[in-house]
Amino acid sequence: MSYKRPRTTYEADLTAQQSPFVLFGTPLPPLDPEVRDDGSYVPVWKQEVRDERGRKRLHGAFTGGWSAGYFNTVGSKEGWAPSTFVSSRSSRRKDDPKAGGQRPEDFMDEEDLADAEESQRIQTTAAFAGLGATKHDASRTASLMGLFRPDGDTMGAKLLRRMGWKEGQGIGPKTRRKARLELRTGTGDNGGTFLFAPENVPMISFTRKKDHKGLGYVGESRLAALGSSAKSSIAANSDDEEEDDNTFGRPKFSLAMGRKKEKDKGRGGIGIGILNDNGSDDEDPYEIGPRISYNRVIGGDRKKKKAAIVINPALKTKPIFISKKSALGKVALGVRKCHDGRLPLDGFVFGREADPLASEINSQGKYPPPVIPPDWVSSKKPQNEANSKDYVSTADAAKTSTLDPKARAALLSEKQLPGKSVFDFMSAAARDRLASVTGKMDLPPARGEVPAGYALSEEERLQELLKQVPKLDKETAIAALARGTGRGAPYGDDDEKRSRYRAYLEYQAGFRPALPPRPSRMSSEDWVRESHEFLNCARIFKPMTGFMASRFTTSSTTLNSGSQGEVSDKNLLTRPPPKPQDPAEEAAKIGMFGTLTRSVTDFYPTRLLCKRFNVRAPAHVQPDEDVVSGKPSRPDTSSQFGVYDNITPIPQELLALEFSSGVDGASANAVRDGEALKPLTAQTIVDSSKNEALEGKRAGEGVFRAIFGDSDDEED
Amino acid sequence: MSDRTAFPQRAVAQLLGSNGPIHAVSYSASPGTYILTGSADRSIRLYNPQPPTPPPAPSHITRPTASALPTAAALPVGRLIQTYAAHGYEVLSLAVAADNARFASAGGDRAVFLWDVATAQTTRRFGGTQHGHTGRVNCVAFGGADDSLVVSGGLDTTVRVWDARSGGGKPVQVLGEARDAVSAVVVAGAEIVTGSVDGRVRSYDVRMGRATTDVLGASVTSLCLARDAKTVLVGTLDSKVRLMDRANGACLKTYADAGWRNEELRVQSVLGGKERFVLAGDEMTSPAAAAAAAGSGGSVEVPATPSGAANEGRIWAWDLLTGKLVARLAVPWGAGGSESRKRVVGRDGKEKERKNVVSCIAWKEGGFGDQFCVGGTSGAVTVFGEG
Repeated sequence: MSYKRPRTTYEADLTAQQSPFVLFGTPLPPLDPEVRDDGSYVPVWKQEVRDERGRKRLHGAFTGGWSAGYFNTVGSKEGWAPSTFVSSRSSRRKDDPKAGGQRPEDFMDEEDLADAEESQRIQTTAAFAGLGATKHDASRTASLMGLFRPDGDTMGAKLLRRMGWKEGQGIGPKTRRKARLELRTGTGDNGGTFLFAPENVPMISFTRKKDHKGLGYVGESRLAALGSSAKSSIAANSDDEEEDDNTFGRPKFSLAMGRKKEKDKGRGGIGIGILNDNGSDDEDPYEIGPRISYNRVIGGDRKKKKAAIVINPALKTKPIFISKKSALGKVALGVRKCHDGRLPLDGFVFGREADPLASEINSQGKYPPPVIPPDWVSSKKPQNEANSKDYVSTADAAKTSTLDPKARAALLSEKQLPGKSVFDFMSAAARDRLASVTGKMDLPPARGEVPAGYALSEEERLQELLKQVPKLDKETAIAALARGTGRGAPYGDDDEKRSRYRAYLEYQAGFRPALPPRPSRMSSEDWVRESHEFLNCARIFKPMTGFMASRFTTSSTTLNSGSQGEVSDKNLLTRPPPKPQDPAEEAAKIGMFGTLTRSVTDFYPTRLLCKRFNVRAPAHVQPDEDVVSGKPSRPDTSSQFGVYDNITPIPQELLALEFSSGVDGASANAVRDGEALKPLTAQTIVDSSKNEALEGKRAGEGVFRAIFGDSDDEED
Repeated sequence: MSDRTAFPQRAVAQLLGSNGPIHAVSYSASPGTYILTGSADRSIRLYNPQPPTPPPAPSHITRPTASALPTAAALPVGRLIQTYAAHGYEVLSLAVAADNARFASAGGDRAVFLWDVATAQTTRRFGGTQHGHTGRVNCVAFGGADDSLVVSGGLDTTVRVWDARSGGGKPVQVLGEARDAVSAVVVAGAEIVTGSVDGRVRSYDVRMGRATTDVLGASVTSLCLARDAKTVLVGTLDSKVRLMDRANGACLKTYADAGWRNEELRVQSVLGGKERFVLAGDEMTSPAAAAAAAGSGGSVEVPATPSGAANEGRIWAWDLLTGKLVARLAVPWGAGGSESRKRVVGRDGKEKERKNVVSCIAWKEGGFGDQFCVGGTSGAVTVFGEG
């Protein structure tokens, strides 16, 4: 029959008999004691998904499913629970730590958080766009200038404003005058005078003229002004406050954005969409819904304040009321509507001063300019009228001249050249060059003649030649001369050249009044070239003096003694010096063995080498290492390396016996070897049997130990 | 008993078995019973030159003449005892330790092998690591107390001193003064003498810590120290062998002959006959001059070379003191005088001219024994003795 064991008893039994696994070592503690870290299987229903803030993101179907609602947290531990305000004397509500536990962020989703994040972002204003990159690429146009000059108020303007100055006022003490209220209708002079700020003097800015158009001509930009908003040239003379601000004693930088407000308004037409709407710059056409105005720019509210500051209604920053007259003058610049907001009557256009339309009209002759009276004379007279009358340019004067080269030569009282061709005076090289340039090969041959009157005499030619001889300073020449007398002087193989070299040096040193005449078989060019070579040679062969000479030694002169004739005469400077011949090799070649062929250098044997050779290390190798004084004394040892000539053949014989016994019989040895060796071998046999003499001859063990140290055991 | 008669002129044995030129021969250390040969066939052979049954000694050995010279066919053959095969390249140099239990060999495989004679195994191999020679090893020698050092010089212009006693793959010292390949190394006492292709003989005195460089001019191919180490015999590639005084570098004697040429190959020259003779091999590049010399050199009793044997090598012997040519011996080609039937074809495809270059000579007991042996391109080692 079968009895059913409970599982616990079965497992207890099992573990008692045989452990299911063997533990080896100590398991690492889990990272988090509450979390199982052993990689064991967790069923799906036990798994839970949490977001980065530790909130549960998955809920059961009965609790809302996948992120249902606002995390479905109402009433849960994580969520908020509706609570009532309870406060008592013992437990004050404000002391409750849990009271402030819930923050608005806890109930914001990702979009809200992103918005909150963005609202906290800080960036520089566009005025300093050059310093930090902003998202406003439009203002990047002045990015480089922003580095040097911030837009907006200058420090001077700020200071003035502190002192009570206001935009549009002039600078200076207040003036007492009547109020100008003529813009208002009716009210005439009340008689009273008041203190007013001085009149503002409009800033005149001079724009640099960079084109060749006439003064005041603004044709293209005027045309462009119709299409776009760039109207800087027109606005240059307007007394708008922003313009003044920009041109406050500085060159004007025209900003496309800066003039947006002066854009033509109401020039809409058919098909003008939302993008063409010029009503307001600031409004985003795509903005939908209420505008959340985070203050994203430091100091961004400056303009609004400024607008609020302006109190003088007469200034045009805030057009409250503009009279018809001034409004027409202003409006005529481009506003098409009349001041009352209506279009002009049919068939009428607004008059324009310099308009494409006006110019078109002018070209048609509708409104011709006034005719200058025939007898009108300008009151201004040019001062140098007389001079300018007979001014003739050089080219014109040359044109009018009738002189030919001959006439000019006659005027200059030059002697006339003989009637020869140009090519007669040309050198052959110049003629060839000319032929190659022009491509004409049938040019007359060049003769290279010198006109008779210009030919140099012999003395002149010599002087000319001597001028080409390079100069050498006297010290160098003397030094090279001194050097040249000794061995290893240059041009040792060419006596003639050597004498020329010496003469050159003597001439340069001043010992000789003149250079020796040029050898007849030498052309003057070669002669000059040789003198240049002498110059270089003297510079090189000049011995070093003083400090430098003590530092360097010339290697070539000492080794070169036998082969000084190898110094080339032609290209002395380019050819490397001949390889120095080893004097020892030379001596060996002629059989002079001895001191010439012998050289002794230091040799540094290693310590082990000395030890193996059974010699004391030389003093320069190991000066104070050896403790044994004197020569290692092994006078009668078996080593044959002590003194070579009193070698005893005994140990060799011994070992030879061993050698021969291992390989071959010793009897054949005894038969075949010389007679003298026979007793020797007999002796050695005796010795080997004893083996006492060998040991007895050895020096004391202490000596060996002192010499060999730890290597004694190796000898065994 | 004059000097001339003491010169062993008779070929007493031939040692065969090599399948290529012999590059090194060496007698075992005193008493020099055995001959080691290093061959281009990558093996080292140990011979006993004494034939098992010695031929009956000729009754008259007074004056060897041309007719009295033993013909090659009659030469007894030495016994090959052991072959040491571990090299992967040709064996170029051999050195036997004084205890005759070890010998060192070196060759083209850039390593120096230290052999145990009896077991025919290498006990140590120096080189093969980054501390070893980087080129062919030309020469090897034992040195130090109880031959605890092995000195080797090679094509990499260095002389490396290896410690044969303790382990470690690093050389005890590297002597890198040579400007060209080191071709010969000898050790005397605490001095290492090296000869280099740059024409210099350098003596490193370990005791004094001094390196003496003697300029010879031509490339040094052979060095042989006298027993008192006061003179050294230097063979150079200007067809001269010089006896140099090591004390002051002077040349004591120059040994040369009009018929003897040594300008290309490493031809060994040794002192022999109780340091009365200077022996040198011949690279056989001037047969005509040699023939002329043989015809004219009447003053010296030179045994005439049999004219028909074109493949004979030659040994030249000079008197050490006088510098006069003492003997010029012919070395037969090979086994039984019969030429090898192998045709030697060079790299250009043509059959190479066969020359019996005698490149290595060893005198028994370091020049004090009664026989010497020569080896060369024939592959056979000929032992000369007094009979």
